[in-house]
Amino acid sequence: MAIKFEHVSFQYKSIDNKGYLALNEVNVAIENKGEFITLIGETGSGKSTLVQHMNALLTPTKGAMNIFGIKISSKSKENKNVKFNPIRKQVGLVFQFPEYQLFEETVEKDIMFGPKNFGVNEREAKKRAREAIAMVGLDESYLERSPFNLSGGEKKRVSIAGILAMEPDILILDEPTSGLDPRGRDALLKVFYDIHTSLNKTVLIITHDMNTVYEYARRVLVMREGELVYDGDPVKLFSRTNVDNWNLDVPDIIRLKQALETEFKLDLSGTIRNKQALLKRLEELLS
Amino acid sequence: MNMIEIKNLGFSYQKDDVALSDVSFNVQKGEWLTILGHNGSGKSTLSKLLVGLLKPNNGSVVVDGQTLSEETVYDIRKKIGIVFQNPDNQFVGVTVKDDIAFGLENLQIERDEMLKRIDEYASRVDMTDFLEKEPQALSGGQKQRVAIAGILAMQTDVIIFDESTAMLDPKGRKEILNYIKKLNDVGVTVIMITHDMREAVLSDRILVLKEGHVLKIGPTKDILLDKETLESSNLELLLPLEVMHTLEQKNINYPKLKEFLWQLSLNT
Repeated sequence: MAIKFEHVSFQYKSIDNKGYLALNEVNVAIENKGEFITLIGETGSGKSTLVQHMNALLTPTKGAMNIFGIKISSKSKENKNVKFNPIRKQVGLVFQFPEYQLFEETVEKDIMFGPKNFGVNEREAKKRAREAIAMVGLDESYLERSPFNLSGGEKKRVSIAGILAMEPDILILDEPTSGLDPRGRDALLKVFYDIHTSLNKTVLIITHDMNTVYEYARRVLVMREGELVYDGDPVKLFSRTNVDNWNLDVPDIIRLKQALETEFKLDLSGTIRNKQALLKRLEELLS
Repeated sequence: MNMIEIKNLGFSYQKDDVALSDVSFNVQKGEWLTILGHNGSGKSTLSKLLVGLLKPNNGSVVVDGQTLSEETVYDIRKKIGIVFQNPDNQFVGVTVKDDIAFGLENLQIERDEMLKRIDEYASRVDMTDFLEKEPQALSGGQKQRVAIAGILAMQTDVIIFDESTAMLDPKGRKEILNYIKKLNDVGVTVIMITHDMREAVLSDRILVLKEGHVLKIGPTKDILLDKETLESSNLELLLPLEVMHTLEQKNINYPKLKEFLWQLSLNT
C-alpha cells in the first residue's frame, strides 16, 4: 500500500479560535500502481484538504499516515525528522488552476523546474521535459514558447507536464478539467487515462463531473462534511438512496438509460458506461 | 425592445492576433441569451467589452439606448453587472459582508438600504452564516456564491454570467441556475457564457462563437439540434439529442422515441 491513512483528522485554525474540522477520522488506502480513482463531494467537504495530506503538504492534527513507508503522525515532535521531499516527488499533486502558477520564460524551463528542484541534472531535466510534453499531447515546438501566450487548455497541459516530469508514482489532480470546453475536457481525460494505462500509474482526480466518474473510474471516493462516506464501485454509487442522501448528480448515461428502460421497456441491463456502448445497444435493439 | 445592441465589434489584444472580429447581435429586454464557444473563442473578451473593461478597436456597444464610452461607462455599469468564472479574482472585501457591500458603496446606496440588501442577497445564495468570515476561509464554490450575491445586490437590469457555475459542485450549480431562472422571470436580462449545454437549454436564444466571430445565432431549439455548428466549436450535443441524431442517421425512426428524447434533453 503506497498511501495509508489511519483515523486522519485535520482541523484548520480560524481567527475566532474555534477551528474548523475539515477532515474527520478518514481511513483510506491507495495502491502505488494501476488505480484510476475519482474523488467527489460537495464544495467544502474536504476533498482538497484530503489530497493535500496525500503528499504531506498538510499533516494530520489527529491520526497517522504512512506514505511510501514514511510515517507521519499528528505530533510535530515525531514529524521533525521526517523527510518530506521524497513524498512530494512520489506523489505529484496538480492544484486547481495550475495555469496560474506558470512563471518561466519558456514552457521547457517551466517543466524542468520541478525535476531540477529534486536534484535532477540539466540534461536529464531537458529529456524529461520532451517526454512530458508529448505525454500531455503537445508537440515539442511548444517547449520554446512562452507559457503566457497559450490557451487555457494548453496552459493546464504544460503545468501537468511539469508534475509528470518529476516522475511521480501517483498523480493527483484537483479539478483538472473545470473550465475546459467539452473537447478540451475529453482530450485531457484521455491524457490521464493513457498515463494510467500505459505507465500503470495510479491517477486520482477530484471532479464535480459525474460523467467522468462513471465513464473512467473503477473506484470512487465520496467526501461529505469531512468524512469519507463511500469508497468503492461507481456503478453501485449511483443508487437512489445515495443520490438523495449525498446530493449527487446522476451521470447522463444513467439518467438516459433509466428513462428509456422505464418508458419503452428496453433492456439496457449490463455495463453501459459510455455513449458509444449505449448507442451500440440501442441500435441492436431498435433496428 | 433591445436592451443591448452590438454592432461590428472588433478587438485584438496584440497586433495580428484578432480576438473578436465583426461581431453583431442584439439582446432583447428580459431575454436570456446563451453565448457558447470553445476555449479561446472570444467569449470572455466579448463580456469584458460589454461592461467596458476593454475598449473595442472597432464597432459599438449600446446598452439601454446609451452608447458605451469613457463618459458613459459608469452609468452603464449601473445597468449591467458581471459575475466571472474565478471568484478569487473578484474579491475585494475583508469579510464576506464587505465584499457584498463594495458594489453598493460604488453606487452610493444609503446605509440602511445597503444592510437590507446584504442580508437579503446573502440569504438567497445561502451564505448568511458566513457574512463575518474572511473570503480566504471559504471554498471556491462558496466564494462564487458571494460574488453572485454582490452583483445581484446591485439590482442591475442585465447580468452577465461568465462561466460562473463552472467551479460549483452539482448542488451549487443547480441552486444558482434556479436563481438565475427566477431573476429572468422577473424581467432581468441574462447573458450566460458557458460551454455546458445543460445550461444553454434554459435560454431563449443561443449565439455560437468560433475563433472570434459569430458562427450562428438562433432560437435555442434550433442550435441544440445543430450538431455540425456545435462540434465545429468544440461543443457537444446533449446526450439524448446525440442518441436521437445517431438513430436518425441509421434510419431508425420512432416518432414517440424522438419526442421523448427531445423532452428529456430539455429537462436535464
